[in-house]
Amino acid sequence: MYGRLRPLTTAMCETGEKREHRRQSEDKQLPTGVPGLDEIVGGGLPEFSFNIIAGAPGSGKTTLAHQFVFANASSERPALYFTVLGESAIKMLRYQQQYTFFDPAKLPGSIRFINLSQVVLEKDLGAVLDEITKEVEKANPAVVVVDSFRTMVRKPQSDMDLQSFIQRLALFLASWQATTFLIGEYAEEELRDNPIFTVADGLFWLRQTAERNSIVRKLQIIKLRGQDSVPGLHTFRITEAGVQAFSRTFGLTARKRNPPSNRRLCFGIPELDKMLDGGVREGDSVLVAGSSGTGKSVLATQFIAEGIRHGEPGIVAVFEERPEAYAERATSLGLDLESPQKDGKLTILYLRPLDLSVDETMHSILDAVQKIGAKRLVIDSLAGFEMALSPGFRADFRESLYRMIFALTGIGVTILSTVEVDESFTEFPFSTYSISFLTDDIIRLRYVSIDGQLRKIMVVIKMRGGNHAKDIREYEITSKGVVILGKRLTEYQGLISGIPVHSDRSGPKEEPSQEPESGSKS
Amino acid sequence: MTIHPKTRDLARHLLAYEANAGVSSEAMEPATLRVYEKLRGNLRVLVGVAGFHALASRALTLARSEVPGLGAVQVAADGKLQGISEIKSAMKADEKWIEEEGVILISCLLGLLLMFLGEALTMNLVLNVWPAAAFDNGNVRDGRKA
Repeated sequence: MYGRLRPLTTAMCETGEKREHRRQSEDKQLPTGVPGLDEIVGGGLPEFSFNIIAGAPGSGKTTLAHQFVFANASSERPALYFTVLGESAIKMLRYQQQYTFFDPAKLPGSIRFINLSQVVLEKDLGAVLDEITKEVEKANPAVVVVDSFRTMVRKPQSDMDLQSFIQRLALFLASWQATTFLIGEYAEEELRDNPIFTVADGLFWLRQTAERNSIVRKLQIIKLRGQDSVPGLHTFRITEAGVQAFSRTFGLTARKRNPPSNRRLCFGIPELDKMLDGGVREGDSVLVAGSSGTGKSVLATQFIAEGIRHGEPGIVAVFEERPEAYAERATSLGLDLESPQKDGKLTILYLRPLDLSVDETMHSILDAVQKIGAKRLVIDSLAGFEMALSPGFRADFRESLYRMIFALTGIGVTILSTVEVDESFTEFPFSTYSISFLTDDIIRLRYVSIDGQLRKIMVVIKMRGGNHAKDIREYEITSKGVVILGKRLTEYQGLISGIPVHSDRSGPKEEPSQEPESGSKS
Repeated sequence: MTIHPKTRDLARHLLAYEANAGVSSEAMEPATLRVYEKLRGNLRVLVGVAGFHALASRALTLARSEVPGLGAVQVAADGKLQGISEIKSAMKADEKWIEEEGVILISCLLGLLLMFLGEALTMNLVLNVWPAAAFDNGNVRDGRKA
């Protein structure tokens, strides 16, 4: 990076301590001004770096640059924003000032817009460089933006070739201790051949794609010299606050993972807790699978309510019903979810459906987890979660789920997810997503046909790192929630098929139906 | 475009300020031209020569609809205003009328800025050009609030 270039002789004469001191001062990072982006770039943007923001029209390049400018410009070290052809400065300011980060008091003292269209149109790149040089020397800026750099260098060059111009511009701006952004509408095919990408210290690529009826925005740090940025594509959204980025590691990479805990978290259903050898292990990911009406949400609600009774704050992320309806349903089971919400012990998140990214959802959940110090999290349900995502993210749902579960359980949150499975009488699936490997514990609920009735059974399929009962237990959903009945069902075979056979019978025995009494006679 | 009375007051204030602040060499130059030139110098940096030319041409067209006498005034390719001095020489007898013409032209230019940039940015710009002039920010309500 040019900003770190120093005379070799000076460097050789320094002691290690001095060198370290100097290195620290040279490695200063600047806030990007974009929520979530500092984490992605590895703490902040290296001072004096020479960066490119590339992407298609409307991808948020200018907004991102403005956020950086507003976060870093001061009257002592202003920002120079060179506009070139493209969007007129008047219109740019008209729209940009609608973002909350836009502080009009910073113009023109701390942020100066300079239009270079005339010199670009009438003269060559040498004259453009002279003009930039003149303005930079006059203003001593901390930040320089050229928007759009692409239009600046688009016309055929004569006196100075493009490579030479870029080299000289980068060297000059770094020497003048300016952190630079060149904004351009580039196509990804140009990455190999365009000299600008070789010279740049940082390359931010913004993408915007339409997936069915939704727009998905993604950001990639293709390179960033001198620091570890989080690789991969990160979702971002443009709101009234400007660009907001969502790291695909959810901002948890730097956090130390909690050591495995042996503490058990109860459901408050004595027989089930016994089946789980005292409860699920803290920090586990639990999957409750079953078909519609088997009581997955009831079980999840009891899990959260029991946590609150033990002083463990909880989060319920619901996708299929409103928080009020969720709380009302809990009330019908004798569980009070209203008071803990008021007391800050419980948050019911309703994540608005249809165009969410997993990362945004995670951001909302993490915010809530951190806000109330949640120990238990219920995701009700995975099917609803998937449906709430923008279609573009559904293909990556399993991978996203893995990242989310890994991140949250790593900080000690116990996650209970519900998943609906299609009932089959020939197989016993745990999930339609093939995600059982992501879970530590699986509780399977299902309907069985016994003695002419559709009854419900429950079995603990797996508990990673712990013993669990192998029993198949019948249960009912009552006004007190899930209640496990009697002992294990020993007198039937083939229970998990859904069509068991009584051990003492060769086939189902016909018994009188237990229909409710009716006044009418047939 | 209807010029808001407060915008007109601001233009009048700027013209009066320039008329009083004019040094001897500038005395012969109409205050309108001096205000215009100072705005041009600043806006040219912000929006470029072509950008300023477009803005000024629009302001002149709007002003002409109110003061047909501005028909002889033109915006040159570099954004300079041509013809104001000539009008002044031709109509010396009616100084008041000339002054009002200038108010309308500058009001139209400020009105466009207020409409596009909002009050906060426009006032910042004006204060940047005339740091010594005292303004009441509440004077201007036309345009979007930044």
